[in-house]
Amino acid sequence: MNKIILSIPIFIILIISIFLFIFLLQEKNPTKPPSALLNEELPKFSLVSLFDKTVTLSSLDVVNQITLINFFASWCAPCKVEHPLFFKIKKKYLNLFILGIDMQDTNKDAIEFLTTDGNPYDYVGVDEQGLVGVEFGVIGLPETFVVNKDGKIIYKYLGPLTDKIIEDEIEPLLQ
Amino acid sequence: MISLIGFIGLLFSCIFSVSIVISFFNQNKKVYEKIFYYSVYLSAISILVSFLALILAFINSDFSNYTVFQNSHSSKPLLYKIAGTWGNHEGSMLLWLVIMLIYNCVFSFNKTLDISLKKLTILFQSSIYICFALFVIFTSNPFLVNSILVNEGLGLNPILQDPALAIHPPLLYLGYVGFSLILCLSLSGTLLNKIDKEWILTTKNWTLFCWSMLTGGIALGSYWAYYELGWGGWWFWDPVENVSLMPWIAGLALVHSLMMAKNEPLLKRWIVFLSILCFSLSIFGTFLVRSGILTSVHSFASDSSRGIFILILFLIITGFSFILFIFKSNESNTKLNLLFINKTSALVINNIVMIIACLTILLGTIYPIIIEVVSNKRISVGAPYFNSTALPILLPGFLLMSIAPALSWQNNKLPKFKYYLITFISMSTLTVIISWFSFFSIWGFIGLLLSFIIIAGSVLTIYINSTKFGYQNFLNYNNALIAHIGVGIMILGITCSSVFKSEYSLSILKNEEIKFDKYSVELIDIKILERDNFQELKAFLQINKDKKVMSLVNPSKRYYHVSKIITTEVGIYRNWFQDFYTVLGSENNKKWDIKIYTNPLVNLIWFGVLLMVFSGFVGILKNE
Repeated sequence: MNKIILSIPIFIILIISIFLFIFLLQEKNPTKPPSALLNEELPKFSLVSLFDKTVTLSSLDVVNQITLINFFASWCAPCKVEHPLFFKIKKKYLNLFILGIDMQDTNKDAIEFLTTDGNPYDYVGVDEQGLVGVEFGVIGLPETFVVNKDGKIIYKYLGPLTDKIIEDEIEPLLQ
Repeated sequence: MISLIGFIGLLFSCIFSVSIVISFFNQNKKVYEKIFYYSVYLSAISILVSFLALILAFINSDFSNYTVFQNSHSSKPLLYKIAGTWGNHEGSMLLWLVIMLIYNCVFSFNKTLDISLKKLTILFQSSIYICFALFVIFTSNPFLVNSILVNEGLGLNPILQDPALAIHPPLLYLGYVGFSLILCLSLSGTLLNKIDKEWILTTKNWTLFCWSMLTGGIALGSYWAYYELGWGGWWFWDPVENVSLMPWIAGLALVHSLMMAKNEPLLKRWIVFLSILCFSLSIFGTFLVRSGILTSVHSFASDSSRGIFILILFLIITGFSFILFIFKSNESNTKLNLLFINKTSALVINNIVMIIACLTILLGTIYPIIIEVVSNKRISVGAPYFNSTALPILLPGFLLMSIAPALSWQNNKLPKFKYYLITFISMSTLTVIISWFSFFSIWGFIGLLLSFIIIAGSVLTIYINSTKFGYQNFLNYNNALIAHIGVGIMILGITCSSVFKSEYSLSILKNEEIKFDKYSVELIDIKILERDNFQELKAFLQINKDKKVMSLVNPSKRYYHVSKIITTEVGIYRNWFQDFYTVLGSENNKKWDIKIYTNPLVNLIWFGVLLMVFSGFVGILKNE
């Protein structure tokens, strides 16, 4: 009898641990907050090009192809960290359209950044006021979205990408 | 280079710990006795070398080290470069290891304990160390080399650049990592069946030390939150605050039980249970914070493989301890001397109350996780839950505090009962009068009453003690009472600053004077100042009372160029009675939004805590 009472803490610990294990294995990562946009249509937008003010790209231009959208800015240090990875992706998936959206930044700084660090994007749009970011529910830079051929957002990642995340989570979506 | 030295130091500390384990099991040979102790010293020295190497890497801004690159910046002031060493996951885990081995080393100089007991304790501590060292090496190595060549680091969070926050983590760790030694003492005491007077004294001193450090650490954290975050509050029931509070409460129960244990032998088993609980809660807390399961203001970079590793560690250490506890702890044949109201019954109530409070907080903290696993919904449990559950549970404990130290072991009598009765009645009347003339709020009333009763009851007991024993050895007799007065003062501070605080949102033009309550505030000037690494928008506010200037305060906003972060700096004017806490908002049509909080007696919170910590240290030093 006594031993049973004494083992109560062990049972409590075991039960709690089981829940925690399940939680961990489901990988409910806070960097992937449930986005209201997931599996929704791409929001409508129109973006002036960073390099040529006469060129614009609208949300209608990116359908019928898989698109990777990356929100960045020249002042954002983690963006610089993930930056080289886009070259890798570009090399591997030639047909992938990579759209960079330069958010709340000055054109001069952004161009300087892309000249020194290289430009992996197929198109760089300017979102000076961060209004397109609001449409996408961006809460911090960098943020990355994957849009499928039907124009639906199928993936969202908050924070700088890493090799592991690209391999495990993004590449399967690009096949 | 320096990272390499650090990593080698870390490896050597591990190797020496293994050598402690090996030499323990070969005790029959004389050589191994020497190896045992030398390994204890050498392991501590190697981990210190490793830690110093990391600190040096931070001081030199050696960005070839990945941890330094991620968490430091060359323009940081020296103090924060050093503090940056433990301001991140990898570095703080290394600090964890350092503290484990320093405790181990200091403990090995103990002369009073039985040799076999001492060696077994060192063995357990070293084994736990090896587990944690493996965790650090495999999942959180602070000495990784940066794969790209950079000349600037990424870490420059200005909010974290604060003296209070620089020493907050080490203090906290000295507390809850130290509980590992208490656990080891309990395990070896149980295994060898040697929980005697010496054991109790040693364990009590170590527990008091750890608990006092933990108290100081938590208090510093809350003080930082008060003046840095600019929300006017100082405790947010943030999950990370909760996980430091749980071992604190369990440690408090343990400290009390240990102090009583010399007179109440039955408590031994309970003490062992509590010491297991303390360290289990510490590891559990670490797990919750480092696995990234919980999101909070303290979030570290998270990684689920770390989480799984710590969870397994938690299961092994806790499971082993509890199993040992079930099968080895001896049942005592004596009965508890429980009377309606004597010291033993007060202690039992105190312990029950604390354990229930601890479980309640635990439930609130992990409930969102359980719900998410079961129903895939995300919910959050916040302050309302904790305020309406944990606080009422603690009430009976607080009430008992006022008289418990004066109770007797053997009988139901409270000596000089009349004096206590008169004191309590007069305190209650005082509370009624205060509530009558201010305003009535149920929590305000309870809080005031409790604090008055605790303070007055303790002061009365001190007075009675002094008439009986004189003022020689004053601290010896009255140390516990001083801690209790500290709690009373803290409750007074908490009650007044939360129930009686006022908040004013004003919109003010330059040179305008606006009244609030009995005071008025005038915006003298607002300036933009250029500083080394930030630009500051500083307001010069003058607080007046009856046309007389009370003080000038400068709330400001800072914009840090490198990290592009805007922070709010509060301007606080303190006087004996209250804090005027001002926050600068934004501009609208030349009118500036400012927020003023008046927080009566808020500083008593930290003063009370200081008394508790003081009493904790006196408790270690006083002669039994």
